[in-house]
Amino acid sequence: MFGYVHAADDVLSQEDRQRYQSVYCGLCHALGRRYGLAGRMILNFDLTFLAMLLQEGSCGTCEKRCLAHPIKARTCQQGSDTLDTAADMSVILTWWQVQDGIADHGFFRGVKYRFAALFLRRAYRRAKAYQPDFDAATQRQLRDLAEMERRGEPSLDAPADAFARLLAAAAEGAKDPVKRRVLGQMLYHLGRWIYLVDAADDLTKDVKSGGYNPLPRRYDLPEGKLTEEARRDLSMTLDSSVRAMAAAFELWDFGENRGIIENIVYQGLYAVGGAVLNGTYRRRIRRKGGHAHA
Amino acid sequence: MPMRDPYQVLGVPSTASDDEVKKAYRDLARKYHPDNYQDNPLADLAQERMKEINEAYEEVQAQRKRGGASSSGSYGNPGSSYGYQSGTYGYQNTGYGGASGRVRMAIQQGDLNLAEELLNAQRDHDAEWNFLKGVICNRRGWMDEARRYFQTAVQMAPDNPEYQHALDRMEGRNTNRYNPYGGTLRTVDCMDGPCRYLTLAAICSAFAGFPICCY
Repeated sequence: MFGYVHAADDVLSQEDRQRYQSVYCGLCHALGRRYGLAGRMILNFDLTFLAMLLQEGSCGTCEKRCLAHPIKARTCQQGSDTLDTAADMSVILTWWQVQDGIADHGFFRGVKYRFAALFLRRAYRRAKAYQPDFDAATQRQLRDLAEMERRGEPSLDAPADAFARLLAAAAEGAKDPVKRRVLGQMLYHLGRWIYLVDAADDLTKDVKSGGYNPLPRRYDLPEGKLTEEARRDLSMTLDSSVRAMAAAFELWDFGENRGIIENIVYQGLYAVGGAVLNGTYRRRIRRKGGHAHA
Repeated sequence: MPMRDPYQVLGVPSTASDDEVKKAYRDLARKYHPDNYQDNPLADLAQERMKEINEAYEEVQAQRKRGGASSSGSYGNPGSSYGYQSGTYGYQNTGYGGASGRVRMAIQQGDLNLAEELLNAQRDHDAEWNFLKGVICNRRGWMDEARRYFQTAVQMAPDNPEYQHALDRMEGRNTNRYNPYGGTLRTVDCMDGPCRYLTLAAICSAFAGFPICCY
């Protein structure tokens, strides 16, 4: 996915920071175990957040070394079914994102996406076999999204809704019916938020290249940029989704991940959204974490 | 189902002082306040939680009055005085006759498709029509359109407190909102101020000596 989900730095406790890192490493190992190096390359914090949301009960940790940390072993969350599921979904989401990149770019500029696809093909086939329903839901929503892009859908909410539903489909696997509802809401609004933040982040690039972006259809863009008023307007709709995530979050006990998720839905997402809207978001991080070709 | 330990529900030890119990209750009541779950598909869960919290608080009060576990004087029952009791999570359809009443009823019952059909059949797009359109959008998570409908409703009927309240909530002017870190943060505050977020390098290099873990 995109790599926009971050915790707020100044209010994350040392213990939560350690746990965050251990889920990150645990997901990396799960990806490695199931999909090899190609799987590991797609790891980012959005996917780590997804793994934390999906987690059921308490998971132990272990110390592991890896290619990136060959000397000093790091604390990893122990492998579990939900971590594996998060890994499968990560591969499927990244695969379709890469396919979208191929469709959006011409032959030469699409080369890197084609390489990424080549690299990921085997992993995707396996992930699809593990999670056929999620793969089908993802394809369905992306088809809707492509259709909207083709006809130049003027609404902001409609394309965001397609992406939001795509992510919400990840909630279907939750066993408890209450958790399924809570997670469905959280992931819906996470998807909506990611879609809109990504649109704002890519605006300048899309205006230049003529690529599809929902913002120019909703707001006037003198000099290809959002006006101050438009940015405030957009920030309010982002806030609505973050608030909906927080409201849903309070209705389920997320156990040991509670502190990190709370940080993200009450602080972290606001900080990232603000940074994207005022142009200080560090795109470098995003590139590194975002695509398989990085 | 046996009632859970009221102290556990309130998240305080049974040795907590009256003031601590009261504060815990107030924080929880703010967290699950109907305002935070208006037009939210999970409102029923919040309402259940609120009921549980109210019962736990009343139970603790009753216990303390009986046993006098800690006696720091008397206080009223904020459960009722704050109006956090159940029953305020949805819209009232009393007093709305005709088409509007039917739409509100459909929304109340969670039948958004019916509500939308009824609205689309109406010719007169008055303030109430715009408001109800906004409610349906909000319920579906289409919050940009919801806000625009609420804005129109307020423009057409500036004196209607219900429409104004819906718009205020949508635009984050709900000052009593719960935030574990205090205050009310908004994206726009982070556009102006220095809100920091954790970077990959920060989380990785803090544990290893080199930041290549991010590939």
